[in-house]
Amino acid sequence: MALKELNISPVGRVEGDLDVKVYMENGVVTRAHTQAAMFRGFEKILAGKDPQSGLIVTPRACGICGGSHLYCASFALDVAWKTTLPPNALLLRAIGQAAETTQSIPRWFYAIFATDMANKKFANKPLYQEVVKRFAAYVGTSFQRGVTASGRPVEVYALFGGQWPHSSYMVPGGVMCAPTLKDITRAHAILNQFRNDWLEPVWLGCSIDRYMQIQSWDDMMEWLEENESHRNSDLGLYLRAGLEFGLDKFGQGVGKYLAWGTYLHKDMYNNPTIESRNAATISPSGFFDGEKYYEADQKHVSEHVKHSWYTNQEDGLHPFEEPIPTAATDSRNLEQSDFGGKYSWAKAPRFMGHAAETGPLARVIMAANPANKEHQFRDPLFGDIMRKMGPSVFTRVLARMHEAPRLFLKLNEWLGQVRLDDEFYIKPTEQDGIGWGATEAARGALAHWIKVKNGVIENYQIIAPTTFNVGPNDKDNNPGPIESALEGTEIEDPHDPVEVGMVARSFDSCLVCTVHAHDNKTGKELTKFKL
Amino acid sequence: MANVLWLQGGACSGNTMSFLDAEEPTVVELIVDFGINILWHPTVGLEIGHQVSDLMQDCISGKTQLDIFVFEGTVIQGPNGSGKMNYFADRPMKDWVQELAHAAQYVVAIGDCATWGGIPAVPPNPSESTGMQFHKRKKGGFLGEGFVSKGGLPVINIPGCPAHPDWITQILVAISTGRIGDVLIDQYHRPKTFFTDFVQTGCPNVRSFTEKLDGHFGKRGGCLFYEVGCRGPMTHASCNRILWNRQSSKTRVNHPCLGCTEPGFPHHDLKKGSVFKTMKYLGFLPREVPEGESKLMYWFKAGVGKMSPTPRVLKEHSK
Repeated sequence: MALKELNISPVGRVEGDLDVKVYMENGVVTRAHTQAAMFRGFEKILAGKDPQSGLIVTPRACGICGGSHLYCASFALDVAWKTTLPPNALLLRAIGQAAETTQSIPRWFYAIFATDMANKKFANKPLYQEVVKRFAAYVGTSFQRGVTASGRPVEVYALFGGQWPHSSYMVPGGVMCAPTLKDITRAHAILNQFRNDWLEPVWLGCSIDRYMQIQSWDDMMEWLEENESHRNSDLGLYLRAGLEFGLDKFGQGVGKYLAWGTYLHKDMYNNPTIESRNAATISPSGFFDGEKYYEADQKHVSEHVKHSWYTNQEDGLHPFEEPIPTAATDSRNLEQSDFGGKYSWAKAPRFMGHAAETGPLARVIMAANPANKEHQFRDPLFGDIMRKMGPSVFTRVLARMHEAPRLFLKLNEWLGQVRLDDEFYIKPTEQDGIGWGATEAARGALAHWIKVKNGVIENYQIIAPTTFNVGPNDKDNNPGPIESALEGTEIEDPHDPVEVGMVARSFDSCLVCTVHAHDNKTGKELTKFKL
Repeated sequence: MANVLWLQGGACSGNTMSFLDAEEPTVVELIVDFGINILWHPTVGLEIGHQVSDLMQDCISGKTQLDIFVFEGTVIQGPNGSGKMNYFADRPMKDWVQELAHAAQYVVAIGDCATWGGIPAVPPNPSESTGMQFHKRKKGGFLGEGFVSKGGLPVINIPGCPAHPDWITQILVAISTGRIGDVLIDQYHRPKTFFTDFVQTGCPNVRSFTEKLDGHFGKRGGCLFYEVGCRGPMTHASCNRILWNRQSSKTRVNHPCLGCTEPGFPHHDLKKGSVFKTMKYLGFLPREVPEGESKLMYWFKAGVGKMSPTPRVLKEHSK
């Protein structure tokens, strides 16, 4: 029996500093520890500052999901200040959020995920040559088109926010901008370019309308075989190569899913409160435990710090009750970390006590909830895929890509609903209070909790999607979703553990977000070797 | 042909995201047409684990020529100067930065965090963050006041939160095409070609500024300097000459300039009353006035402007 320990620092292409330690038996991962390796302390910076500071600071917690942080920060203040939001403001915030997520779809697929499919591990597979031709970094034919096209959706963001990344155009009471006709018409035109340059000809090989007819895995397979254009599209190649390369055989995870949902309906959230939020989402919220759907009530969130490098907190507190974190001074590098003790700057968030995966897969599972209302996404596809195939690297990536056509349609629909003669902003009255704002960043459930007291921020807590996904063990030593998803993974070449990277990247881990939180130790000394 | 190594310290990856939005040239063109060879980058690099540390060691030993070392994010020195709050490839990132900066021909700091500390360095600065060669306005930072790279220049600062993709790509192209001699830098080490004019240069609300007509959120027209804290008249950057995402800029969408290319950002350290509000004396005199004006002279001129009835013909701009 070969018992080995593999230290991977850095993992790379995950946005930020992720280190992973895996324990293997005969080439199969039996246990894994994820380490968020960087700390900045944004929550500590926010304490005692101007209440609107979150609008400037939190987008800069993460340059990839800055618009999503802004979406949360503005709604958290709307709740605390009891603002009234005009429909135009809700539309323009949803457009910004959807534009940022749409940008991330091709950028993440080509620049971060698909280059691994061109790894030599798959060199003996029949589709390998074609995958290399299209997906190899920089020189792949689709890499170039996809990465270039990913800049289009954020041009739409810039029309309303001035720039992407790092605008602060969403403010309590509405939005800063008051767009004119040409902003709306240009936005439609830019979206059409995105569709014509990449979404239809390169990714789908068919019209968006044809793709939207797919309701089940059988429909998907039927679509694939329908014609050469479908088979040879990048989606067609991903489906064929993904299954041929066995991406459906690893990276399962914890099997529980959480989505806060997003895109608050223009007429259903004009007086934002914590209680009225979930019903107003267009992309629905929820918690799915593998069998049943539950309401995603923020009251059920808690954070564990037993394995996090923070000193002043108890396990299992709700964000409103958590103190501003104080960083430990004994953090270590991966090799010297003690995984029985503290080992990550990420906290371990739990929902109803469970580790839960967040991200596109969680969102499309919520979209398949039969109880969804008329104004919400109703899409049975991933309910069916989860029953037939279950979660894996393959399923997670497909879920991510599945969102692009729907968001394209929604963006155009929302642009069409903006009323140029109506208000975009209603000046609020500043006051003390508590607020909660949440959304779906491209990579999953993001939320901000704020307490304003004596006209300054008393407490600010952020739980990022990657905190849920990449967090360490909880107080009972249950693994986080990525730690769990790595278990059972076969590592063919320990000198190039691409499989570990693929699992982490399928979650689109974004450590730059996570490191605001904190988190080390192993029992027995195992055999060690270097890559 | 130039070998580029790009690393991130206390970063949000915003400058990388901005860089990936580049258009003339795109990132792919930068590599394919201009011979920029990205040795490694955290978002797009293919190597992992010891492949990365070996590559960095080769740069330090000189086995691989390191032409440009790009750093994004703050240099994290916490806790207590140890740098243990930011491990990278088994070592504190700051130790890598020190060795790589001395091995490189040119060192480029990208974004406010790398240039002067940015948001992570706002008090209480929990991670003991600093910039490469400045800490806020003070020269020194992590590498020290006297640092010059092998190529004979101090750290080239490309500030902004984030930096505009053109500011990044054009400097990389300038170095790789042998035009480094044309890159003149100002007192904060910013390339003058991008940071001589003000954000106000090219702002469509400049007439409202002259006529002292206030703008506000959700309204078309008017100047944001007087009420919502716009820093366009005192911020050196080309945001209204080289537009963002080929479309716009903050002030063009009624978003006050936050002054993010100046070493004070975020200005006033986010204290109460400083966010999206013009800080004033006596409730009506702006505390900060356009660069180059004395306060008294500016207040006098603005007062006359405010009370002068004739040219004040602001109509709300048409939808």
